[in-house]
Amino acid sequence: MPRMQTFPDLLKSLWQRIGSMSLAIILLVVLAIASVIGTVLLQNQNQADYLQQFGPLWYWVFRSLGLFDMYQTWWFMSILGFLMVSLTSCLWRNVPKMLKDMRTRKAAVAEKSLKHFKYLHDWQMQDVDADQLQQSFRQRLQGWEFRQVEQDGVQYLRADKGRWNKWGYILVHSAILVVLVGGWIGSEYGFRGNMAVPEGSSEHEISFLQGTETGHLSMPFEVRCNSFSIDFFPTGAPKEFLSNLTIIDHGKEVLTSDIIVNEPLYYKGVRIYQSSFGDGGSDITFKMFHMDGSETITTAKTKVYQSWKDEKTGLSIKVTDFKPYNVENMANPGEVIDFQDLGPAVVYELRGPDLKPVKIKAFMNPFIDPKGKNQGSFMMVSLTGDKADYKPVSLGLDLTNPVEWKLFHAFMRQLAIVDKASKDANLTAFKTAMKEVFGAGKRPERMQDVAMRTLQAVNMLSALPWPMLPMLGDFEQHYYTGLQLAMDPGMNVVWFGSAMLVIGLCIMLYMPHRKLWLIIHPESKGLHITLAGMTNRNHLIFDQVFNDMFTQLDQDFRQNT
Amino acid sequence: MTATIAEPELSTLLYQGRWAWLRFNAYIGAMLGIAGMAMFGVGAYEENAFLYQILSMKGVMWGGTGALAGCGLAVVASTMKPVLLDAKMARNITPWLDGFVLMVILAAIWALFEPAQSQITYEDQSNLFAGRIIMAMNVIFIFSAVSYIAYLFAPESFIGRLATWTAYTGVFLGGSALLLRWHESYLFDMEIGHAPVSNLYEVFILLFCITAAVYLALEKRYEAKAMGAFVLSLVSAGVFFGIWLDSVGQSDIKPLVPALQSYWMKIHVPMNFVGYGSFAVACGAGMAYLVRHRLEAAGGTSKMLAIFPSLDQLDQLAYKAVAIGFPAFTLATILGAAWAAEAWGGYWSWDPKETWALIVWLIYGAYLHARVSHGWHGKALAWWAVAGFLITVFCFLGVNMYLSGLHSYGRLS
Ligand code: HEM
Repeated sequence: MPRMQTFPDLLKSLWQRIGSMSLAIILLVVLAIASVIGTVLLQNQNQADYLQQFGPLWYWVFRSLGLFDMYQTWWFMSILGFLMVSLTSCLWRNVPKMLKDMRTRKAAVAEKSLKHFKYLHDWQMQDVDADQLQQSFRQRLQGWEFRQVEQDGVQYLRADKGRWNKWGYILVHSAILVVLVGGWIGSEYGFRGNMAVPEGSSEHEISFLQGTETGHLSMPFEVRCNSFSIDFFPTGAPKEFLSNLTIIDHGKEVLTSDIIVNEPLYYKGVRIYQSSFGDGGSDITFKMFHMDGSETITTAKTKVYQSWKDEKTGLSIKVTDFKPYNVENMANPGEVIDFQDLGPAVVYELRGPDLKPVKIKAFMNPFIDPKGKNQGSFMMVSLTGDKADYKPVSLGLDLTNPVEWKLFHAFMRQLAIVDKASKDANLTAFKTAMKEVFGAGKRPERMQDVAMRTLQAVNMLSALPWPMLPMLGDFEQHYYTGLQLAMDPGMNVVWFGSAMLVIGLCIMLYMPHRKLWLIIHPESKGLHITLAGMTNRNHLIFDQVFNDMFTQLDQDFRQNT
Repeated sequence: MTATIAEPELSTLLYQGRWAWLRFNAYIGAMLGIAGMAMFGVGAYEENAFLYQILSMKGVMWGGTGALAGCGLAVVASTMKPVLLDAKMARNITPWLDGFVLMVILAAIWALFEPAQSQITYEDQSNLFAGRIIMAMNVIFIFSAVSYIAYLFAPESFIGRLATWTAYTGVFLGGSALLLRWHESYLFDMEIGHAPVSNLYEVFILLFCITAAVYLALEKRYEAKAMGAFVLSLVSAGVFFGIWLDSVGQSDIKPLVPALQSYWMKIHVPMNFVGYGSFAVACGAGMAYLVRHRLEAAGGTSKMLAIFPSLDQLDQLAYKAVAIGFPAFTLATILGAAWAAEAWGGYWSWDPKETWALIVWLIYGAYLHARVSHGWHGKALAWWAVAGFLITVFCFLGVNMYLSGLHSYGRLS
């Protein structure tokens, strides 16, 4: 009957179990499988989106398991912690043994254990000198280390190569510990957050996601954004985002520098990265086209993120964004993609008494189609406020040209007077309107197009429910630069661990420990010589090495006789 | 010793002893010199002219000084310690570096066939010469795969040699085509130019070449020709995918988004593909193992068995490939982390691509442990090598296609 284990014994066996290789395999696989979850389930999204996606039950289950911020949960941390414990245990048990083995290198081999060697060859020789045999053995093994003893009349000559191989094991496994500790230091004593600084202003607080909430942290200095600019490739794709920043420490300007993506700024242990950009409150001038038939155009000045209200009609505009470039795919579905820049556009929400609120993206320039034909001004309108619901609305007129606005009104007035019953009422009205605007016999360029546009505008403009049509008239752009600020005191620890890991792996995998013995047994008639070998890795090569060695030694030995 | 030493063959002379050792150090010195130029040179590293920085007088000075310094140190070191002349590292790595130099020469020759500057437009890149070389490479790799398979059924040494040589040709075509593409990217506009490791199409070609090269290195050392049928079939599958990418317009040279304009990319990406390529070879060895196992179980009468390496050898070959891939992949992941630390402010963000790289790394780490520990035998490990490669493929392709994250450049648009 097995003896009952005492508690310390139990602990000891548990400790050994924890450091065992099979547990290592299981741990690595479990960690791999656990990591998959967080890549399939998008992390740190809006909670409402999760609820909608999974339904109340699964949302609740996933949320309780912390799956929406998985890599910080207690259970994932526990797996990592367990890995550290396991590594410590296996290092604890193996390192002293390995260090001792590497140091001692016993030269003698017991007869019994020799039988278990995978690599073994024998000679039976007469009239040879043991010294000379050993000499040729040493010569054949340039760069190996030797140990020699004589025991019970048997001479052992041991040669080692790569005897530091076990350092590879020690380095690799402690490297994982070092990297994990570095990561822990970073998460405990470091920070990482974002800061948006409009051009010309300064900021000293970063914000970051903390589980599902936003945290704030004040920096020991202020960052001022002097300017932000975007550089473009000839193809129109952005090439470089550049911020010119000044660091202000206790009211003093200490440092001014440009940063771009991939080239951060470093101050007081904090790295400042270019990470995004956006509108920092650009000045916007709207041209308001009054839709009451009065032909009036007024202007309204405001800024992005601010509102403007017309007292008389109660119409209000809330500007939410401005973009100087709007590259859109202009191809029809199924055609080759065709990106074109549609020029500056402002995004605003339009509200008013008895009006359905809408979101509008109004472009400054008329749309010129690929054939060079002016298709008139246009905007995108979303009735729900959702980006996906934007519908293009072509206004017909080119509103950047005041003459067309005038012509449109003249045409409307004439339409009201002409005899509706007559066959070419439209034509008559248009001709009269032309005469009114341009004078007799004069006609604008591209007369055909202008006529088409005016006709289209009659249907389009009169269908719009708004008392005024706010179009982008002018702008002065101010960006904000999106910075990421991070401090990570554990980072260098991580790099140190990484270096250990790579070096350790190379030692472990490419510098196998090889051992060869030349054992000379004096017998009654001559010598019994044994060549024995052992390696802990890469048997394919060692097979060859060992057999070559045998052939060469055989030659040498025979020459010596 | 008697005077029976044979005349040393040219290849022995070139690839063993002092010449290999000198060349090895000269190459290393040249690379360090170029790296030094990128870090400390006047004007330092410029994303949009790096190729010409290397090829300019400045690059020649830095690289040449490095090479000379390398040679000098090599002479000193080997005088003090003559065993170094026989260093395994120099012997094994020098042929690769020689091959690289040959690729550069080839690319320089191809560049002569480029259409006139006036004919080159960004909108229509179909007349560029690299595209033709890549097409030739595609055909050659498929031909090579077919030859390797034919060799299994008709083990004539002629067919075997044909298979090997076509595989070599494919590697050189692919490698030189990529170098040429680097040059071509500057032809549209200096600003657009960048190293050819920026999109899926380019890295695919890199992957074929590295996979085939790793395989060829193993074939040369271990005479494991039967494995080629499996590895080159994997490469051919990739070739078809590449042809598809080309047909949907993914093969165009496009300017680099700001996040990718970093010298880290030039080290991180190729290093990653050394990992992927080696894992592909390990998968090929695993497949060969499973096939041989099948054949043996069926009675071992198949003629094919004669040319297959033994089970034990195949097992070791898979290990060997993983042993090449694992440290490379580890280093690549670390380089990626270093890049992330510089570009995004944190070395690890649990972004899907990163996380999948970790998963792949853990799986192969577990593979190495399973191999050392008792109770795991060849067949299970062969399956592991195959499954590991499937996970690798997901990390490489699947993540780009199905999961979102920061590594969006690999996305099919
Ligand atoms: C992420 C973590 C780990 C990595 C990357 C890693 C890596 C490695 C590698 C590459 C080898 C060499 C395998 C070979 O012979 O080819 C190895 C061996 C080994 N590992 Fe790990 N390991 C890790 C975790 C662990 C853990 C947690 C344990 C123990 C609980 C462990 C115990 C061992 C042992 C005992 C060996 C054999 C050493 C020898 O005698 O050669 N490892 N490890």
